[in-house]
Amino acid sequence: MEYSEVRSLLEGLCGKGGVSGREDDAADFAANLLSKYMPVKRDTLGSVIGKKGEGGGIILDAHIDRIGLIVTAVKDDGFLKVAKVGGSDIRVLTGAKVTIHGKKDIFGIVTSTPPHLAKKEDEGKAPSFDDMLIDTGLTGEEAKEIVSPGDRITANGSFLTLAGTRVASPCIDDRAGVAAILRCLQMLEGKSTCPLEVMFSAQEETGGSGAQAGVFGLEGSVALAVDVTFASAPGVSKEKYGSLGDGALVGIAPTLDYEISSRLLALAGEKDIKAKPEVMGGRTGTNCDEIQTQRGGIKTALISIPIRNMHTSVEVCELADIEATAALMAAYIEERSGENA
Amino acid sequence: MRETLKMLCSLPGISGRENKVRDYIISQIDGFCDYHTDNLGNLIAFKKGRQSAKNKVLIDAHMDEVGFIVTGVTDDGLLRFANVGGIDTKVFIGRNVAVGEKAVPGVVGIVPVHLTEKEDENKIPVADSLYIDIGAHGRESALTLVSPGDEVCFDGEFTEFGDGFICSKAIDNRAGCAIMIDLIRSGLEYDCFFSFSVQEEVGTRGAAASAFGVAPDYAIVTETTTAADISGVTGEDRVCVCGEGPAVSFMDRSTVYDIDLYRKALETAKQKNIKAQTKTRVAGGNDAGAIHKSRSGVKVLTLSVPTRYLHSPGCVCKYEDIESTRDLVKAMAEELAKC
Repeated sequence: MEYSEVRSLLEGLCGKGGVSGREDDAADFAANLLSKYMPVKRDTLGSVIGKKGEGGGIILDAHIDRIGLIVTAVKDDGFLKVAKVGGSDIRVLTGAKVTIHGKKDIFGIVTSTPPHLAKKEDEGKAPSFDDMLIDTGLTGEEAKEIVSPGDRITANGSFLTLAGTRVASPCIDDRAGVAAILRCLQMLEGKSTCPLEVMFSAQEETGGSGAQAGVFGLEGSVALAVDVTFASAPGVSKEKYGSLGDGALVGIAPTLDYEISSRLLALAGEKDIKAKPEVMGGRTGTNCDEIQTQRGGIKTALISIPIRNMHTSVEVCELADIEATAALMAAYIEERSGENA
Repeated sequence: MRETLKMLCSLPGISGRENKVRDYIISQIDGFCDYHTDNLGNLIAFKKGRQSAKNKVLIDAHMDEVGFIVTGVTDDGLLRFANVGGIDTKVFIGRNVAVGEKAVPGVVGIVPVHLTEKEDENKIPVADSLYIDIGAHGRESALTLVSPGDEVCFDGEFTEFGDGFICSKAIDNRAGCAIMIDLIRSGLEYDCFFSFSVQEEVGTRGAAASAFGVAPDYAIVTETTTAADISGVTGEDRVCVCGEGPAVSFMDRSTVYDIDLYRKALETAKQKNIKAQTKTRVAGGNDAGAIHKSRSGVKVLTLSVPTRYLHSPGCVCKYEDIESTRDLVKAMAEELAKC
């Protein structure tokens, strides 16, 4: 199968939970994969940190957390009240099947209003998060045994193989980025590199605290962050956004290091790696915004993987784009081998 | 019955494409009854009882489920589609679907919330603006996998959860089919006809034809109906309640039921110690709407499994209610055959 390495990394990572602030199972899984290449630890906020070589090197960042829901109350009738964690999209949650990560993982389903109780003025509208309920199928007593306020909830969804080399899954945002970094390390195996610091950061979806604290504890002064971006689709303009299959989208923005970004694009041309610029007018809405201003300032570049249907259970990506992102990072790291970045 | 139900729910079968469901049902009832498929695709079975019946009784359940049909393919390789049956757009955005004979996987996408205006954050897009993405790079490659006219089904796992609940697509009305298969296989006191009907979800088309063909004196429609027994809903607004047995209808949008049959069903349930409840809202409709008008009129009864979130990829009901519905359908079939 084409891109089997990337596929298997991504499928494994997408199968994990890891809603912001409770990243454990995804972080442990990713840490285990990373430990093949370097010693690994978890930092104070829960980010996975790996270091290879002595002194400041290139920092590679992708966030390990995913959007989801958090239980705010377990009602006496066994239904759950929730709030969103990160930018969960209420429009895709009615009737969604979910996993409640309580004392054990249990199945639940987001309720929907039966047609006879639907109000005319609510037609065509999703409920608010305040009105949202999760049906556990349990009595209040049973539910309270297993679920507590603060427990996280993830939307269910399979890892679907679509036509060609496209796949659909929940949390491709940003397990695709984590997969790209792991694939990059695979490509670099046996090659000498500059020192590397890898960070699978916690809490990106809730504001980037994980990356901010994580980078402070590292030594490098150059960072490459990998996140997802919008891919063109009906309603998402082809002129304005990249498309599936465009390869690595290299960020060009006032807040990103222009020299590194330009070099990445040039390098892609030289090495025949698919890439395109993605231009933004200010901040990027990614970990780069937090990383850039840490310590005495860090030269930061962003590579984005285009996906459709961001923040739904059917995020669609092209495996070739993850492979290209990995290849471009590997080429850049190789080029700077022997340096202390 | 549980395994049969699981299998039935997993099969694709939108209205007009019930063939896979019918084939499976035939495999389950073959050798237990006489059967034939009529012009519309209804599967009609006759089960010989230990005694011949005084009245001709027909038990009906529809085989079809709600879904979609592919209407066209865009230049970008995305599929346009139309609803088959009534489906709230809210419940299928962001879901997986299976397209066509080969069950090609696809997803129903949406413009990311980040790119919508603040005031539109809660606005559900109109169904016409949605598409199914099968990952094709363009029209040509899409057409190698799917064609306009292909059926589209929800991709729904069958999950057992909570306190004896099950969650799956198509419980409406594979629950009814599973009950009828169970009755046919188990042996009956009196002769009885069964119609596994097509095209209920697009206007009870199949049952109209099968009722004419069978010409029953009485009919029992075995269905699922809305259980609105969710948090915050009380009293009769709940329509019926999971765990309280079959909902017995006195009236819905398509039928005013024979009051004696309605009463007899509740009485019989009480006598036989079978849980049952009144459906407390005049809502919905089913094959009874077509059957009661057949020929010179048929007395009908509807017994429904209380089911939450009907017409979605995740219908939810209690397995014990399917069992008590079966028990009451069986008891009523006997009552009506001999009365």
